[in-house]
Amino acid sequence: MRTTRRYVGSGTALALATCLALAACGGSSGSEGADGEITLLTPIFEGSTGKAVLEGELIPQFEKENPGITVNVDYTDYGSLNEKLTTSIASGLVPDVMMMGVGWIEGFADKGVLADLGDYDLSESSLSETMNEQVLQAGEWDGKLYAVPTMLDTRYGIARKDLLAEAGFDSPPSTWEELRDYAKALTKRDAKGKLTQAGLDVMTLDPRQMFEVFLFSNGGTLFNEDGTAPAFNSPEGVEALQYVVDLVRKDKVEDIGYSSSDADTYPVINGRAAMMVGHNDYWVKAQASNPEVAEQLVPFMIHGTQDAMFQGGTLVTVANSSPNKDAAVALLEFLTDADASLAANEQRGNVPALEDLLASDYVTSNTAVQFAMENLDNAHPEGGVPAWLEIRGDFEAAIQAALLGQKTPQEALDGLAASAQEAMDR
Amino acid sequence: MTSTTGTTTTARQDAAARTLPVPPRASKNTQSRRTRRTGWLMLAPALLHTVIWIAIPVAATVVLSFTDYSVFDRPQWIGLANYTEIWNDEVFRKATLNTVIYTFFTVPFSMGIAVVIAVFLHTKLRGRSIYRAAFFLPQVTATVAIAMVWLWMYNPQYGIVNAFLSFIGVPGKAWLADPSFALGAVIVVGIWQGIGLKMLIYLAALQNMDESLYEAASIDGASPVQQFFRITLPLLKPATFFVFVVSVIAAFQVFDLVYVLTDGGPANATTMMTYEVYRSAFQNFRMGMACAQSVVLFMFLIVLTVINRRLTGGDET
Amino acid sequence: MSVAVADSPTRAAPRAPHRRRINGRHLLLQLVLGVGALTMLMPFLWMVLTSLKTPAELSQFPPTFLPQEWAWSNYSEAMDAAPFLTYFRNSLIISITHTLITVVFGAMAGYALARLTFRGRDLVFLGFVAMLMIPTYTKIVPQFLIVKSMPLFGGNDWLGQGGSGWLNTWWALIIPGGLSPFAIFLFRQFYLSLPKELEEAARLDGVGEFRIWAQIYTPLIKPAIATVSLLTFQDSWNNFLWPLLVTTRDDLRVIQVGLAVFQQEGTTQWAYLMAGTTLATVPMVLLFLFAQRYFVQGFTASGIK
Repeated sequence: MRTTRRYVGSGTALALATCLALAACGGSSGSEGADGEITLLTPIFEGSTGKAVLEGELIPQFEKENPGITVNVDYTDYGSLNEKLTTSIASGLVPDVMMMGVGWIEGFADKGVLADLGDYDLSESSLSETMNEQVLQAGEWDGKLYAVPTMLDTRYGIARKDLLAEAGFDSPPSTWEELRDYAKALTKRDAKGKLTQAGLDVMTLDPRQMFEVFLFSNGGTLFNEDGTAPAFNSPEGVEALQYVVDLVRKDKVEDIGYSSSDADTYPVINGRAAMMVGHNDYWVKAQASNPEVAEQLVPFMIHGTQDAMFQGGTLVTVANSSPNKDAAVALLEFLTDADASLAANEQRGNVPALEDLLASDYVTSNTAVQFAMENLDNAHPEGGVPAWLEIRGDFEAAIQAALLGQKTPQEALDGLAASAQEAMDR
Repeated sequence: MTSTTGTTTTARQDAAARTLPVPPRASKNTQSRRTRRTGWLMLAPALLHTVIWIAIPVAATVVLSFTDYSVFDRPQWIGLANYTEIWNDEVFRKATLNTVIYTFFTVPFSMGIAVVIAVFLHTKLRGRSIYRAAFFLPQVTATVAIAMVWLWMYNPQYGIVNAFLSFIGVPGKAWLADPSFALGAVIVVGIWQGIGLKMLIYLAALQNMDESLYEAASIDGASPVQQFFRITLPLLKPATFFVFVVSVIAAFQVFDLVYVLTDGGPANATTMMTYEVYRSAFQNFRMGMACAQSVVLFMFLIVLTVINRRLTGGDET
Repeated sequence: MSVAVADSPTRAAPRAPHRRRINGRHLLLQLVLGVGALTMLMPFLWMVLTSLKTPAELSQFPPTFLPQEWAWSNYSEAMDAAPFLTYFRNSLIISITHTLITVVFGAMAGYALARLTFRGRDLVFLGFVAMLMIPTYTKIVPQFLIVKSMPLFGGNDWLGQGGSGWLNTWWALIIPGGLSPFAIFLFRQFYLSLPKELEEAARLDGVGEFRIWAQIYTPLIKPAIATVSLLTFQDSWNNFLWPLLVTTRDDLRVIQVGLAVFQQEGTTQWAYLMAGTTLATVPMVLLFLFAQRYFVQGFTASGIK
């Protein structure tokens, strides 16, 4: 904890502030309890299958391999992960092992919450033997490794083969130009002008992630090299957003409100769209609702100046305040190893980070996951600066403003960059 | 506080009051002392609970609003910096405006509808218990289910709102995705959802009503409508004060509904103050800022409550 | 024992001449209320119908209204997705204790604020109301810290340091949310609307203040007790964030936390979610139907029924 700052509480007569400060800083003991007892906070095993896998198979196996260590699991979901982390950090009772998302690491590492894994013989170079280097980026901050991925989820193009064939296209588009031509040709409206089939659905995916796919495929980055300034409003970024805005506003390949991120189902699955920018879970979803359609769905890379997909995921970290770091690191290694990683991904329909698993039955039986794994060289994680969690929430409104025509892409991204810069300088 | 001796004292005084003929003046003094003691005693558990679990956190909120508190580090005193940032924050200004508009429309409309329905359902009416259950149902239905249905009704492609409009020849809209309509669409759901609770409180209040007043009015030849305005409404004043204050507080803190319907969008068109508080606290890890935003919200509510008391004379009956 | 009892039976008489006209109006009224009730019923109905559809049907376009194939198995499958029996029991324990605490202490406090005059009373009342005006999201971290620093619990010393306090215990689930100023406020308003004559008469008879509260006034506000109980129960039944934050053990978790299982990042299992939500709503609907008796009781007492 930093000590150079002027504290509240000492000056103010308010007992409550002292109370709060005491509570906030008192509990640096980490998770108390017997030696060898560690806590795991996880947002990815909360379902019944997840719990069965974790507590029925994985944890017993780990405890057998590491006698003397007991693992207590605290289940949460991604929607409440931040609330769990906030309260546990504020109270000083930080779980020994925490799973968090891509983009979280930089901020938590910067604040000293996470342990530097380099102290435990884990490094990018050792891990890159088994994992793709692109994927390891998300666990790094300031040249050090703080987290190891166990589960990835990716966003890329998805096309309906049958609908493409109807319009005379025999393979998915390979460039932005083709994507645009296809999308225009595949858009269908009824006599009244009501949209019945969107050429390219860009509204089911979260607006930020959708934009990032196009940004990365146009050679853009979120921040500059040294992480001091936003770069998403660079010419590449503005061009990427302009491209999407034109698709919607000029070419009218999809109407505002046609789909949204809380849609019950993906429009490509029920035939309301011919192509989409979407999540690799489309395959599992299509299998569940309509296996015949699943056969018709083909993944493809969005290509502006390069093939690129957006990659999120879940990483495992160790708390800096953990009194039992050796055990915590052992659990981290166990959870990111082949068995646990495969089990975790299988129950969520997601992409394993370990390259060896490309040959596993699970991956070969899931087209979407296989495609993602084969293309991990083109994966781009989000984040890169400690203020990312603060910045990312503002993307949605800015992208929407551009799509609605309230702002030009340049204005929208410049405004976003200004507030991002403020957050980074704070 | 006299919490330790209170019970016995009161008991003793009960006995005293029963057995001893006391002079009127002294009795009045004893009486007021007795009520005071009993008053504090009966208040004690609630007061203690509220001080620990709400007043201290509220006070902490106020203190932290003057700090930069990220949860990771200790709070750092920064004076009014959070407040000046709020003042210049366009999104928060938008959220404040949206919240005020939302409150301004949802509270009076749902209160008006609720009181009328409560009065109807208070009369002898066939199927009244079914109606009551139906009107209360949105209150117990999970917000996700409510949102799901309204998302479906508002759907620009196949929703029944647009189907109805096209039936009468009006072009449909993308209600929740169009910034000009999104807030209005959310307000309609807010009114709809708010009726049940208010109706329930009015119904309960109507049970306490002295029926003989209506008789007198009936004999005087007052119409049901006149009775409603001259007798029912004035007698419902304590309930109305409660419903108003609580509804304004609830409307100012609307969160779940917006979260599931529009997520604050499109382009911040439906973002609300509590939504910004939530974002500051749990997405941006700026607890100090969240506290300052909460204090601003608190100020609005205090002012509105005071204005309400001034205008209506509060709940003095 | 209602005050209105004595005079009421005569009330229907003067209205008799208007009956025909009122009947005509009643028809219109029934129509308006019917349509209104139907709009209110819709989401609930939709929830139940959705819970009975297959994933394949749910992805259809345009959506169907009635299930083509009634998938009753959704219910058993949803129930298997988490230890719902434990969650259900926990929620029930918490909601019942919250309701009991609230009714007893809330009624006491509400009565004191409404009917006993003492200095500082209005200030205390306004204080209670003001406590409602700060959003949960900023209060929750301080509340968490208080729970964690509860002295002499969970390995804490007398200053509340060193251990985990009430975290991961029933205390944390029951005590902090046990009483809301909302209930106190509502009780106060109901006690306020009762006539003064009763207490004056009772005091002259030498009845103690506690007994005036417990035996004279409180029986008169049964509708209020029913209302507060219903709302308190519902509030703690629906609570999600607090129980999630203060527990780490699965055996202390509650029903709403269980339901969150169906809403994973990006993927919502609608049919299961709606099946679980429907089941979770049943206790509240039952409670409402039960509490209704107390609303109707008012009529019986005043003899209109």
